[in-house]
Amino acid sequence: MSTKKSNDERNNKCDKKTDSLGKELNKLKSEIKKLKQEVKEKDNKLLRSYANLQNYQKTTEKKSQYMENETKKKYLSELIELKELLKKAYEDKDPRAGLKLMLNNLENFFEKEQIKYIDCVGKIFDHNIHHAVTAIEKNDCEDGTILEEIKKGYFIDDKLLRPSQVIVAKKK
Amino acid sequence: MGKILGIDLGTTNSEVAIIEAGKPTIIKSAEGQQYFPSVVAFTKDGEMLVGETAKRQAVTNPEGTVHRIKRKMGTGEKTKVHGKNYSPEQISAFILQKIKKDAEDFLGEKISDAVITVPAYFNDDQRQATKNAGNIAGLTVKRIINEPTAASLAYGLDKKGDHKIAVYDFGGGTFDITLMEVGEGVFEVLSTNGDTKLGGSDMDQALVDYLANEFKKKNEIDLRDDPKSLQRLLESAEKAKMELSSTLQTDINLPYIAVVNNEPKHLEVKLTRAKFEEIISPLINKAEKPCKQALKDAKLKPSDIDYVVLVGGTTRIPLVRKKVEEIFGKKAKRDVDPMECVAIGAAIQAGVLSGEIDDDIVLLDVTPLTLSIETLGSVATELIPRNTTIPTKKSKVFSTAADNQPSVEINVLQGERPMATDNKSLGRFHLDGILPAPRGIPQIEVTFDIDANGIINVSAKDNGTGKEQSINITGSTKLSDEDIERMKQEAEKHAEEDKKRKEKVEIRNNGDALAHTAQKTLDELKEKISDEDKESIEKALKELRETLSKDDSDKIKEQTEELSKVLQKASTAIYQQAAQEAAAQQQAAPQGDNNETWSGHPSGDDKTIDADYEVKDDKKKSDDKKKKD
Repeated sequence: MSTKKSNDERNNKCDKKTDSLGKELNKLKSEIKKLKQEVKEKDNKLLRSYANLQNYQKTTEKKSQYMENETKKKYLSELIELKELLKKAYEDKDPRAGLKLMLNNLENFFEKEQIKYIDCVGKIFDHNIHHAVTAIEKNDCEDGTILEEIKKGYFIDDKLLRPSQVIVAKKK
Repeated sequence: MGKILGIDLGTTNSEVAIIEAGKPTIIKSAEGQQYFPSVVAFTKDGEMLVGETAKRQAVTNPEGTVHRIKRKMGTGEKTKVHGKNYSPEQISAFILQKIKKDAEDFLGEKISDAVITVPAYFNDDQRQATKNAGNIAGLTVKRIINEPTAASLAYGLDKKGDHKIAVYDFGGGTFDITLMEVGEGVFEVLSTNGDTKLGGSDMDQALVDYLANEFKKKNEIDLRDDPKSLQRLLESAEKAKMELSSTLQTDINLPYIAVVNNEPKHLEVKLTRAKFEEIISPLINKAEKPCKQALKDAKLKPSDIDYVVLVGGTTRIPLVRKKVEEIFGKKAKRDVDPMECVAIGAAIQAGVLSGEIDDDIVLLDVTPLTLSIETLGSVATELIPRNTTIPTKKSKVFSTAADNQPSVEINVLQGERPMATDNKSLGRFHLDGILPAPRGIPQIEVTFDIDANGIINVSAKDNGTGKEQSINITGSTKLSDEDIERMKQEAEKHAEEDKKRKEKVEIRNNGDALAHTAQKTLDELKEKISDEDKESIEKALKELRETLSKDDSDKIKEQTEELSKVLQKASTAIYQQAAQEAAAQQQAAPQGDNNETWSGHPSGDDKTIDADYEVKDDKKKSDDKKKKD
């Protein structure tokens, strides 16, 4: 009798355990399902943000190309203007007065764009704004004095646009 | 791991690149140039200059300026400057320091690692010296790679199976040929050869000599004797060389180049590519011998070479490329900038090491063709342009084309043509149950959502009622390459006539919309419009409607303008009248409660796009209604 009782008890315990394990299994299953869904969503989000980034890069590229063209247009139209006038000056018997005005216009344009000429002859060479093309041996002036300007240099907004190309004195 | 720089530490110039958002990008120097001159100088004041500034002062300070230090790497030979000894590693380190600093300034973050390239013929000592230079500059050199290997990486040649590559590196001052074998992503140098005194600057010099000699024949003066003229000549020779790579002829005009017997002289030369090639061909032919030797050393025939890669600015010259073809019997690869490809290859290697270029990363597809929907007048209105990376989602708000239109049809199209009928229809559906409203008022939001597999979900939602309809389209990205190419070519071929057709539809749509507005104005403001104005509007409206039923764009345009003119006249009169009345009322009662407002024409929400749906089954109904009105 007692064996039967203990068997029943054991069976009962087993049933309970199976029951709770089953519950646990179902819980885990639904958790896995939930996590799988979450991973899927995150994966999708990741892919989308990666694609977004690539599309953003594409539009940025397009935009900067557009901006570049707009800037080009601005300067090219000034050049076209100059070309047309130069043509007229060329056909003019005495073009000096016309050329003077054109030069004034160009200078005004550069001034408006904050372009400034670098004054250099007689000054001491500065590698930040001058480019030495040749050095000539000379003793009657300070070493490094700029003797001649080969090509004019310019600043734009106090930054170097292009350095002056110069000939520099060098002590023997 | 942080970012790693890819550095092409060159003999005359150096370049640096980095991976940004998965793509290699060249970093400019603080002076704004694509490259860093490999020049270091010490001024008398003890200041150290590197790069462009050092180059600018070189002729005034030759004893304090160090050029071409790369040639001394690994020799241990010291360079004495102002009484101080510097090892080649130290000088190279100064260049690397400058590159590191400018790159950090550009990127806005500290960089501590680099991949540096060296010529394939560098021995262990030279490689070790390069590594030391990096360390002195404060860079951990993650890897030293061969320049030709870097160039091949820039072309993705490590991913094309086993093959043999010839890297033809023709720079400003040197020529190198390297034959390599690649298998499973590993590069092995088979042979290397070259000429250390052959480069693009020799070609500039040859051209200067030619120009100066020609000038001398006519003017009996040698332009090379005057540094001023020589400099101008050198600059224009280099410019002409570059120009002749893309054109067949160039003009070299140097006004006021010299003064002979108080008379200004100008240099005027028309230089053809043929003449230029005649001048430089002895120099180009010099590259043949090293190539033959390299093939011999590697025991290869020209036909054994699978790919030829071009490096260096001189390879842009067509005759150089022709020579390469002649030697190796095949066309060379040239879609990566030959000046940048070594630095780019170094950056790619760096990106692989840092994990920024991940071979496992999912390669995302792009939409092969534009996706659009059909709108009023059979126009294809773009939602997602061609080449958009997927997955992606885009929405646009549309409206109805007729009063009380109860439903809209969404016709999903694929293709580059502006008219709906010329594109492929991927599917169509209706959204109905739109509440009765004047045209332009209902807001229908159309959304295209393409997932990573290319499945398109198109939905249309009536923002007023919340009603929604959608379809799924599969296989839209699975077009064959031929199909895509054909569709693109067709779009190009028909571009002109398509534009005209679209313009025609736009003229008609504009006329139609204005006719609608005019009718509405007449209905709503009949009391306020003078009889005379009313008559002229009615007349213009009648004429426009008649023309709209025919096919004459010019006439439609003309009459639309006419109707617009009389409408404007009438509305100006109404405003003036209202202003007068308001003024009169204000005089009577300064704080008058003049609540009467002029009710204008219904205008769409800002978000609404001016592209209406074509009305199909409701045309009759709305026409009937108009008649009743």
